[in-house]
Amino acid sequence: MFNRKLGIVDLSKGKVKVSDTPDSLRKAFLGGRGLNSHYLYKMIDSGTDPLGPKNVLVFGTGFLTGTLVPNSSRFNVSAKSPESGILGDANCGGYFAAELRYAGFDRIIVKGKANRPSILYASDGKIEITDAKDYWGLDTTDVQLALKKDLGGVESAVCGVAGENKVRFACVRTGVKNAAGRCGLGAVMGSKNLKAVSAWGKDGIDIAHPEEMLETCAELKDYLMKSKITPILGSVGTPLLYEVSNAFGAIRTKNSQLNAWSDSLNAEEVEKYVDKMIGCSSCIVHCRHRNSLGGEGPEYTALGLLGSNLGIENTANVIELNNVCNELGLDISSSGTYLAWAFELYERGIIDRKVTKDELQFGDFELAKKLLHDISRRRGFGDVLAEGSRNVERFGPESKDYLITVKNLPQSDPHDVRYMKAFALGIATASRGADHLRSRPTLEIFFKLPKEVRERIYGKGVTNDPTSYEAKEKTVFFSDNIFAAIDCLGVCKFICHGFNSPHFVDYSWMKRLIHAASGWNLREKDIEEVGKRVIDTERMFNNREGITRKDDTLPKRYFDDPAPLKIAMGHHIDRKEFDGMLSRYYQLRGWTADGQVKAARKKELEAIA
Amino acid sequence: MKYLYVYPEKCTGCRECSVACALNKFGECNPKKGAITVVRDEFARYEVPIVCFQCEDPVCLKFCHQNAYTIEDGVVIRDEDRCISCRMCAVLCPYNAVTTMDGEIIKCDLCGGDPVCVKYCSTEAIQYLDETEELEKRRKAMAERLQEISAQK
Repeated sequence: MFNRKLGIVDLSKGKVKVSDTPDSLRKAFLGGRGLNSHYLYKMIDSGTDPLGPKNVLVFGTGFLTGTLVPNSSRFNVSAKSPESGILGDANCGGYFAAELRYAGFDRIIVKGKANRPSILYASDGKIEITDAKDYWGLDTTDVQLALKKDLGGVESAVCGVAGENKVRFACVRTGVKNAAGRCGLGAVMGSKNLKAVSAWGKDGIDIAHPEEMLETCAELKDYLMKSKITPILGSVGTPLLYEVSNAFGAIRTKNSQLNAWSDSLNAEEVEKYVDKMIGCSSCIVHCRHRNSLGGEGPEYTALGLLGSNLGIENTANVIELNNVCNELGLDISSSGTYLAWAFELYERGIIDRKVTKDELQFGDFELAKKLLHDISRRRGFGDVLAEGSRNVERFGPESKDYLITVKNLPQSDPHDVRYMKAFALGIATASRGADHLRSRPTLEIFFKLPKEVRERIYGKGVTNDPTSYEAKEKTVFFSDNIFAAIDCLGVCKFICHGFNSPHFVDYSWMKRLIHAASGWNLREKDIEEVGKRVIDTERMFNNREGITRKDDTLPKRYFDDPAPLKIAMGHHIDRKEFDGMLSRYYQLRGWTADGQVKAARKKELEAIA
Repeated sequence: MKYLYVYPEKCTGCRECSVACALNKFGECNPKKGAITVVRDEFARYEVPIVCFQCEDPVCLKFCHQNAYTIEDGVVIRDEDRCISCRMCAVLCPYNAVTTMDGEIIKCDLCGGDPVCVKYCSTEAIQYLDETEELEKRRKAMAERLQEISAQK
């Protein structure tokens, strides 16, 4: 069988139901993020407490996950976010998703709350709920090792101590460092008393046209490997972006008070700590660093948010903080953003030792490390920080001016977007809050890209100038749609058209891969429509939680404080221009001027079953 | 004669080789069903591809009661019609290179001289090479390394 099962687990009742996913739903959303978002919209009432038993947690693999298709390792974890209070969703690589499919499942939906610590074990088309008493309290590596010892060669998605303690930005982790990092989904696991989902299976995925898949994948692999960017990503990984961004003055530094930082975090420095580059399941890029300090990483995100943003220059220190976050099960982007926020608030006297206990300052590695541990265990000031952006109420309204979030979610990547207007629109409109992985229009900063190539991809009128607001809504619209589609397929964005390259897997490749795998004859346009459907469904979820135009905005600093350094110096986001760009984006989406999905479209999407 | 050579230090653990092998032989994507297996443990920090060495005096052949194994042009081939799936070959293989799953014996036959696994490896961690040439290369690399070491002293 090509299709796997849908498992619905009610932890309150201790019951498991196994069923099929109707083809109509799979045609509409394919799988992965899209189907997850559909289930969230259908199953979660507005106003649901994200940490209460009524929240629904979905682990969903992509349409092509676990196949020969290059980089088809991915799954999405989704729930209402305890961090932002809106749609929560995070995409993750590693080996868990493929194993879940070999265990017989496309997707597991978890409802309710177990009355004691539990794990789910999926194998051979069945799911068992078992006791997790011996696993509770373990760090993310230790729990995975214990599960392998007790259950055999399982792959697991787990929460760390941070998740158990319902830290609002706790991640879900699999392997040494792969994380469904964003939106606090580890805390949702903790709130459900769910320590881990483990899977082991030997049920292969039957392919409709094996020969065609072998041929198409060989051709795709050769095409990807010939690109200039693939070998670079495979040898230095995302840290390569640090130097590029730093040259622009686009690195979030000291809570975005500055926009450039030390060369000590350049890829060539990071490389000194790399033992080997490794890959996720089916990956041909292999961008994961096995570091010599006992973990994996750092990614560009960690270099920025645990490095420059905290004012830390020492490469080994940054790698160590990265490893600590991974062990505790903390989202690196949020952790680095909240720590930097607290440091600046302390410097400005907005908070003091009555709240923080310790003296806070940028550049203090030991302090940052201690705070990460304290957050995960909710000790002292760590207990306060564990509440994330909700601290605006505690710290006072002025504190909000210095918080780098959109819709209460800290910005994911270290890009200071004041220089790059399209990037700014992207993080302002992303469905889970400030996030580059939803819609980063990377080609914006490919200066040498010929105008005709840029226009062919993004549409007419998109200029070669990152600082122009003109037609930038088209770049976000295009990226948002195609990245949603690839998230539904379970394929890594690193090989998606427009994410790292003007080439790579576009709708035409997707169509061929879908056909080889399933025999479905989709048109390119059909796949693009899947992406649009996902974006609209996610917007409907958020609209229902009260999200409107007022929320599609940026941190105050990006509007009002011009960037102080390098090429970006003097640049900020103009409110009026931003507003125009936003209106044009809504028009492309067919949303109302207030950012609502229109009634007819809502009705159409609600009817999909 | 050409054989498969593996380089664990280049292997990223992705298992494209195993998935391609299973897809080619059985029409399914299933790394556990490949005649090449990547043993990987990201916590213990290793990735090791395991593949049949096509031994000259193979244990699988020697102990097969059904005489299902033969050596054809240096490749150890299992005759499916003779095989009764007793799994003796898999149990006795000193390199655990013969796999069994649900009564199916899975044994590398070098795909008739065009091994599929090699094509899907993105780091050349598996290569299909002439034995003499490859050993010459390895000896040369070793000699150079010895030179380096003696120069250090």
